[in-house]
Amino acid sequence: MKLFFYKSVLVFFLFLLAFHLSYGYVSKKIDYLINEKVSKNSIEIIKEKIKNEMKVALTKEDYIKPEDAVLINNFLDKIKSDLNKNK
Amino acid sequence: MKLNLYKQKNTYFLIFFYFTALILTLFVLEDFGIHIEEKFHRLNGLFWLSYISDVFGFEYLKQVTETKMSGIFDYTLNRPSYFNRYGIVLDLPAALIEVIFNIDDIKTVYYLKHFLGFSLFLISSFFFYKILEKRYNNFLLSIIGLILYLTTPRIFGDSFLYKDVLYLSFFTISLYFFVQSIDQLNYKNLLFLGLFSSLSVNLRIFSLLIPIIFIFIIFIKNFFKKNLVEDAKKVFFYLIFFIIFLYLFWPYLWSDPLKNFLDLFRYLTRDLIDVKILYGGDYISNRIVPDIYILNWIFISSPLVLSGLSFFGILFYLYRFIKRFTKIKSELIYNDLWRSAKEEKDFIIFIFLITFFMLFLLLNAPLYNGWRLLYFFHIFIIYFAINFLYLLKVSFRKKSIFKALYLVISFIAVVYNFISILLTHPYQSIYFNSILNSKIINNYEGDYHGVAAKDFFEKILEIDNKNNFIIAVASHTPIQRGLEALPKSLNKKFNIVGQNYNLADYIFKNNISEVNSDLIKKYEVPENFSKIYTKKKGGLIIYEIYKRD
Repeated sequence: MKLFFYKSVLVFFLFLLAFHLSYGYVSKKIDYLINEKVSKNSIEIIKEKIKNEMKVALTKEDYIKPEDAVLINNFLDKIKSDLNKNK
Repeated sequence: MKLNLYKQKNTYFLIFFYFTALILTLFVLEDFGIHIEEKFHRLNGLFWLSYISDVFGFEYLKQVTETKMSGIFDYTLNRPSYFNRYGIVLDLPAALIEVIFNIDDIKTVYYLKHFLGFSLFLISSFFFYKILEKRYNNFLLSIIGLILYLTTPRIFGDSFLYKDVLYLSFFTISLYFFVQSIDQLNYKNLLFLGLFSSLSVNLRIFSLLIPIIFIFIIFIKNFFKKNLVEDAKKVFFYLIFFIIFLYLFWPYLWSDPLKNFLDLFRYLTRDLIDVKILYGGDYISNRIVPDIYILNWIFISSPLVLSGLSFFGILFYLYRFIKRFTKIKSELIYNDLWRSAKEEKDFIIFIFLITFFMLFLLLNAPLYNGWRLLYFFHIFIIYFAINFLYLLKVSFRKKSIFKALYLVISFIAVVYNFISILLTHPYQSIYFNSILNSKIINNYEGDYHGVAAKDFFEKILEIDNKNNFIIAVASHTPIQRGLEALPKSLNKKFNIVGQNYNLADYIFKNNISEVNSDLIKKYEVPENFSKIYTKKKGGLIIYEIYKRD
C-alpha cells in the first residue's frame, strides 16, 4: 500500500510536470503571441502608426508615386463602374 | 527547582533582541512612506467594522465608522463592497483602534498600522525561531535563522507595509503549529493550527492547501503509525475548528457562508489583474509570465549569500529525498521518506515549497510587482539556507580548519543583510542585489507601492517655495494617496492632475506602467519639461522630477 501510494503520487507529479512542459508550454506560447498581436495594446499601437503615417503623408509633396496613382485611379474607376452597372 | 542557566541566557538574549528591535523600529518608523493601497485597507477595515456594528446593533459605533468612511475618497479607489472578499486580519482591528481611540490624524492611523504589521512580523519570527530550534536543537543556528528571517532587505522593508509580509507572518505561525501538530497530535496544537490556518486563508485563499497538506502528511504517517481511526478523529476535530474560525473571523461569510465561499472562486478570475509588467527590459503581460519569473525575481532581489545557501540547501535536501525515495521499503519504518522527527520537519517544509511552487507554475498564476505575492516563500528560503549551514557544521566538525566555516558564512550573510538595510533605507522593499548593474536594474519594476511619494512631495517643497503646485504623473502610480503622509497644511498645496501634462508645473515619473510604455506614449514626459532631480538607490531609479521649462 505504502509503495503503491508513493509511486502513484510520483507518477501524478511527473505527469503534471510533463503536461506543463509540453501542452502548457505550447499553450503559453500561443497565448503570448495572441496577446502580443491582437491585444488592445497592439490595436492602439497600429492606430498610432496609421496616424503617424498619415501625418508623414501630409508633409510630403508627392506621397504616392505617379504610376501607383494611375493604378489606384483605374482600380477605383473600375469598381465604380461595376457598382453602377448593378444598381 | 533546578535552573538551566544556558537556556536562561538564551531567553535573556531573545528578550534583549526583541526589545532592541522594537525600539529601533520606533526610531525609523516614520522614515517609510505611505503606500498606495493604505487608503483601501483603511476603508476595508472601516467597512467591516460598520457591517459588524450593524449586525450586533452598535448604533453609535456604526455612525462613527460611517462618518469616517464618508471622508475617504479617491477617484482611483474602488469601494470595498466591490472587493469585499479581502481579509480583515489587520484592517479590522486597526479600524477598531482608530475609532475607539478617536484617532483623527490619518498619518497616525497609517503609521500605527505599520507598527502593528511589523510587530506581527517580529512575533512570527519567534515562531520561526522555535521551528529551527526544534529542528536543529542549536541556539546559534536558530538565532542566525531568526536574524536572516528579519533582516532580508525586501522582506524587512515590506514588513511595514502590512500586505505580503503580513501573510508571511501568519503563514509562519501556521507552519509552526503545523509542525507541532504533526509532532504531537493533541487538541491544543490542532486548535491553534485551526485558528492560524483559517486566518491565513482569510489573507490568501491559496492557504487552503494547509489543511490539504496536513491530511496528506497524517495519512502517509499512518503507513507505519497505524493509528488511522484515532488520527482521523483528530483531523476531523481540526477541520471543524478550521471551518468555525474561518467563519468567525471572516464577516464576508456571515450572510451566506457556502455561497459566499464559492463566490470567492467565481470572482477570482474577474478580480485578477491584467496588466503589462516591466520584466527584463520588456513589457510582458502578467497573465503569461515565463516559468523562470519566480526564480529569477527571488535571485535578483535576495542577498547573494542567502540565495547561494538556500540553493545548496534545497539541492542537498532534494538529493537526500531522492535517496530516501529509492530505498523505501513497505514494512520498515526506517526506510521511509524521512528517518527521524527532525528530518520529518525538512520533509514538511519541502512538501509545502514544492506544492506551492507547482501550484503557481501549473495554474500560470498572474504575478506582478516582482515576487511580492510569494514573499511567504521567504520562510522556505531561510529554512533551507540554515539546513545547508547545519550540513556544513556537521560535515566539518572534525576538521579544525573548516570547523568554523559555517559561522564565517553566517557572519557574512548577516552583516551583508544589515549593510544592505542601511544602504537602501527607507527603500528596502525594492532592494536588488549587486548582480544587476545600474543599466539592467532599471529593467525591472521599481517602486510599485509608491512609497517614495512622500519623499517626492517633500523634495518639491524643498526646491520650490510656491504655495500651490500642480503635479502630473508619468507612471501608473496614484501618488495623490501618498499626500496623506504630509501634514494637512502641506498636502493642500498639491493638486494632482494625472496625465494632464499641459496643466502641470512638475511631473513625477518612475518605471511603473500598466501598458507597454515603449509603444504607448501615455507616460512620455513632454519635451517642454526638463529633468531636475533623480532619486536613486544602488543604481535603481526610485523616481524622477521634471519641471516645466
